[in-house]
Amino acid sequence: MKHYSDLEFLRLSKGQRIGYKIGSFFYGIPRAIAGLFIKLWNLLKAAGLTVVREIQDICATFVKGDWKTKISFVIMGFGSLARGQALRGLLFLLFEVVFIGYMVVAGGHWLSLLPSLGKLGPTSEYNLVLDTYTTVYHDNSFKILLYGVLTIFFIIAFIYTWRVNVKQNKISEQILRSGKKLKGSKDDLRSMVDENFHATLLALPMTGIMVFTVMPIVFMVLVAFTNYDGAHNGFSNNLFTWVGLDNFNTLLSWSAGSGGGQSYSATFGEILVWTLIWAFLATFTNYFLGMGVAMMINKKGIRLKKMWRTILVMTVAIPQFISLLYVGKMFARNGLINLSLMNLGWIKEPLPFWEDPTWARISVIVINIWVGIPYLMLITTGILMNIPADLYESARIDGANAWQQYRKITLPYMLFITGPYLLTSFTGNMNNFNVIYLLTGGAPTNPAASGAAGSVGYTDLLITWLFKITTGAESQYYLASVVGIMVFVVVALISLVVYNVLPSIKNEEDYQ
Amino acid sequence: MNEKRHMGLRTLNRISNTTIYILLIIISIIWLLPFIFIVLQSFRVESTYQVGYVIPHEWGWQNYINLWNSDFKRWYLNTFIIALAAAVFITIIQLCMSYTLSRFRFKLRGPLMRFMLILGMFPGMLTMIILYRVLSDLGLTQANAVPGLILVSVASSGMGYYVSKGFFDTIPKSLDEAARVDGATRFQVLYKIILPLAKPIVIYTILTAFMGPWGDFVFARYVAFGTSSGYNVAVGMYSWLTNDQIARMYTTFCAGGVIVAVPVTILFLCLQKYYVEGVTGGAVKG
Amino acid sequence: MASVKLTGVKKIYDNKVVAVHDFDLDIHDKEFVVFVGPSGCGKSTTLRMIAGLEDISEGTVEIDGEVVNDLQPKDRGIAMVFQNYALYPHMSVYDNIAFSLRLKKVPEDVVYEKVTNAAEVLGITEYLMRKPRALSGGQRQRVAIGRAMVRDSKVFLMDEPLSNLDAKLRNQMRAEIILLRQKLDTTFIYVTHDQTEAMTLGDRIVIMKDGFIMQVGTPTEVFEMPHNLFVAEFIGAPKMNIVKTNLLLENGKYYVTPFGAKIPVEGEKGRMLAEKKVQPQEILLGVRPEHIVLSEGGEHAIPCSLVVNEMMGSELHLHVDTADGSRLIVRIPTIDLDSAGRSQLVAGHDLHITFEGKAMHFFDPETEKNLLV
Repeated sequence: MKHYSDLEFLRLSKGQRIGYKIGSFFYGIPRAIAGLFIKLWNLLKAAGLTVVREIQDICATFVKGDWKTKISFVIMGFGSLARGQALRGLLFLLFEVVFIGYMVVAGGHWLSLLPSLGKLGPTSEYNLVLDTYTTVYHDNSFKILLYGVLTIFFIIAFIYTWRVNVKQNKISEQILRSGKKLKGSKDDLRSMVDENFHATLLALPMTGIMVFTVMPIVFMVLVAFTNYDGAHNGFSNNLFTWVGLDNFNTLLSWSAGSGGGQSYSATFGEILVWTLIWAFLATFTNYFLGMGVAMMINKKGIRLKKMWRTILVMTVAIPQFISLLYVGKMFARNGLINLSLMNLGWIKEPLPFWEDPTWARISVIVINIWVGIPYLMLITTGILMNIPADLYESARIDGANAWQQYRKITLPYMLFITGPYLLTSFTGNMNNFNVIYLLTGGAPTNPAASGAAGSVGYTDLLITWLFKITTGAESQYYLASVVGIMVFVVVALISLVVYNVLPSIKNEEDYQ
Repeated sequence: MNEKRHMGLRTLNRISNTTIYILLIIISIIWLLPFIFIVLQSFRVESTYQVGYVIPHEWGWQNYINLWNSDFKRWYLNTFIIALAAAVFITIIQLCMSYTLSRFRFKLRGPLMRFMLILGMFPGMLTMIILYRVLSDLGLTQANAVPGLILVSVASSGMGYYVSKGFFDTIPKSLDEAARVDGATRFQVLYKIILPLAKPIVIYTILTAFMGPWGDFVFARYVAFGTSSGYNVAVGMYSWLTNDQIARMYTTFCAGGVIVAVPVTILFLCLQKYYVEGVTGGAVKG
Repeated sequence: MASVKLTGVKKIYDNKVVAVHDFDLDIHDKEFVVFVGPSGCGKSTTLRMIAGLEDISEGTVEIDGEVVNDLQPKDRGIAMVFQNYALYPHMSVYDNIAFSLRLKKVPEDVVYEKVTNAAEVLGITEYLMRKPRALSGGQRQRVAIGRAMVRDSKVFLMDEPLSNLDAKLRNQMRAEIILLRQKLDTTFIYVTHDQTEAMTLGDRIVIMKDGFIMQVGTPTEVFEMPHNLFVAEFIGAPKMNIVKTNLLLENGKYYVTPFGAKIPVEGEKGRMLAEKKVQPQEILLGVRPEHIVLSEGGEHAIPCSLVVNEMMGSELHLHVDTADGSRLIVRIPTIDLDSAGRSQLVAGHDLHITFEGKAMHFFDPETEKNLLV
């Protein structure tokens, strides 16, 4: 592709300029992706180098260290204790004791079962006392996978702590050699509210995130490679086991689904397309209409600004499930709108707000506008008021009319400032479970897609489909997990591309 | 000539302002009507199903009495407890997180933030299955869903640090530095300098944390499935609008909606200023 | 009351950018040292390393003979005034000034004593109960100084304290800082990008560029004997004219030949050239605007045409173009010209100038170093 210099670019006609920009955008995508891989490779290389360097350092510490350091390699915290840092030493030691205890009592067991996810499922055995056959439960695949993952986390934490312990010894030796005093337990405690205050502050939130977000995500990603579902729940009926990439094959293959309907990939594709359309429309209708309302209220000479704003803001406060459920029912076949219109004699048959695919999709988007505008109005009001007034004054002197002022000043400014917000809002809408589920529950049903798991409807998003798969009759957790991973991939790809072209990130200072 | 132009401008302005007023009135009506309907229908006693008119033919408190006699009390209390606990703990956790990421430049800061950005791209619903199993192992599901829901919502709340970090970023760093030169420890900097200045964002965080659980639906439903005493208002009232119940419970739902919405809305309107500040700041900072 | 010693101090950021290279400096007790340089030269970073607000990547900082690299800012015995004042917005002026004392658990009556004393010295007694936002820029500046004063610190650090003030107030505060310095009688380290501030305030000036020290010296030294081209151009306003030309040696006498003229090097400069046995070569010649004079023509004269005439009051700044298009600035005291002479100096007018032979600076065109150092 030909590259224009700035001056050459300025000589192009308007159409050529747009063409050039679009061209260079798409031209840049492969490079961006290549750049990503290069970055990943560099990251890997750096990681590898770090590991090598760490190992070298560990060896050097052992060889050069005194006897206290050497013993610390086996008994963690020994060096700290021997050098009078009681608190640190005890914590290291305690951690080691707990770790070894856990590995002996439970960790080793879980880890050994992890490759097979359990060997023996529930069996029916004769019970002498009751004189009947009862089910005896043995391995539990779910627990094996869960505790296996936890054990691996724990091992990583242990290796890290052990490394810190070794490093501590090296640093302590250096400090002592330079003739300075080591920090005592009291200093350690004090540093928790000073130099190391960030560690204190982060400890609790990060533990929560590790246990309740990271661990579950790792677990669920692993589930995508198993056959975990209602019929293989790993405990009370069949064990589940590793199946490799089979589930991805199922979702992405073109062969017809089990129910004789269309293939999974076709269903997935349909839902994905609708999800993207929905996210796009939901984000931008709200954005522009919300901005419009904000601009109307902000206009010079409009009175009762506060009242208008409060009326809209009130609707933000009301919990969404009430407003969505209520409005959803209002538009139902026998809901307020249809009944009223029929009472008035304007229509004979109820309007198919939720029954016809196209009507349903439009209704969802329109109601979402109703839900979203107040929120967007709030956001944009603040930003609109921050646009320097002299920009408009100078534009007026240059002869711009109201529309031109909006097009050339307000809009670029807003897009620049809210760029990142638009991106999060887009991905948020892709995963906007509440609006869809509370309004339609995915209805109307798409008969062609009935072969796929869950009863897929025309307004279903990937996220509601995922929910239906999970809670559906077959509980195909493995499939839910695959869909979840696909959602992640789509969101990540979009974010990556947008982040690379977003002006707010590229030219951070332009509007400051 | 000049005079004429002037007049023209003024009339033009008047026309556009009138149009805007008309639009604003229409918008206000569209936005308020559903809520007016819900209130009116909560007082309708002649029938409990959906009808084609708005003004009740017979007024009465029957729906509210039904509400009182149902499990609604329990659901309301559940939700209130969750909301209170969430307001306290989520606020603490998010402030810790956002203050740290805004103020400290430690080695893992960048990787940590990138890591959380990536984590946030996974649909949260994915983790529902396993969290349910974990909670059920801990005995925190069904009737005991309330502590379970509190635990889960608080535990992951550190991820939502963006808005308050954006606010902290606007407090000049030189204040921290001046205080540290003046002899304050990091803790004292937070406690004596930053927190008093961060009042708007603290209130914003409390407000959003408190309001969240009132609309919390999916996970709450999953965790308390089938056990009415573990429901929150959203899950409980959703069950009233299912096809087999709606004819009997529709007006009761409206009454419940009023009871839920009124306190939250009043609280919200009182603290509106802070909410607007937080929302604007957060969006700008991204 | 303390000395500050920096030895091989380096600042390397995570992204491997080196902000400060091997910084060596001895600051004596009660000395007023100014770090000056264009933005991004590392002057603030150096100050912040002394304060303990930035980690020191390499080297040591000593205050009063003690290495303070690992000490927290509060334990270094320093006080600091920030560019944007960094007043705590939620506290009154009194509380702002008292903050550090209260953290040290000083009894309230002592706090009162010290704060009111400081306020009196700075003339802000009547604002003690106000919040910072109700103060003007100059008043905020005083509060910030007051907050630093009550700490009775060994070293007083100031990071561009005047740059947020308007020109008039800046001049006034500059004078007050000189007075304050006499009263406090302590070591000062002052950072600025303004060479006037540096020249008027400092006992010694440290001129920095891109993380390197370009020259350390008294104001007179750096003005009269700049070690390199950068210092020569940075110090003095309007800035020094630089001309690429040749240095000639004829019969033991040095000449320069700018724009075809032949001007002898005179006085001390000529002697120093001879002492250093500088060979005839191509040089960069530096001449300050005040060392260019109007002349009547002749061998010394350079013909040029006037482009802009700026009337500054006590002096005229003439921007002139020589025959080859180089722009020079000439500074002429107004008193040297009668009204007839002045009326001739309009744009487009042709005139002759010449350089003062005894006030020229010679730089190597390659290294940009002063040939006389």
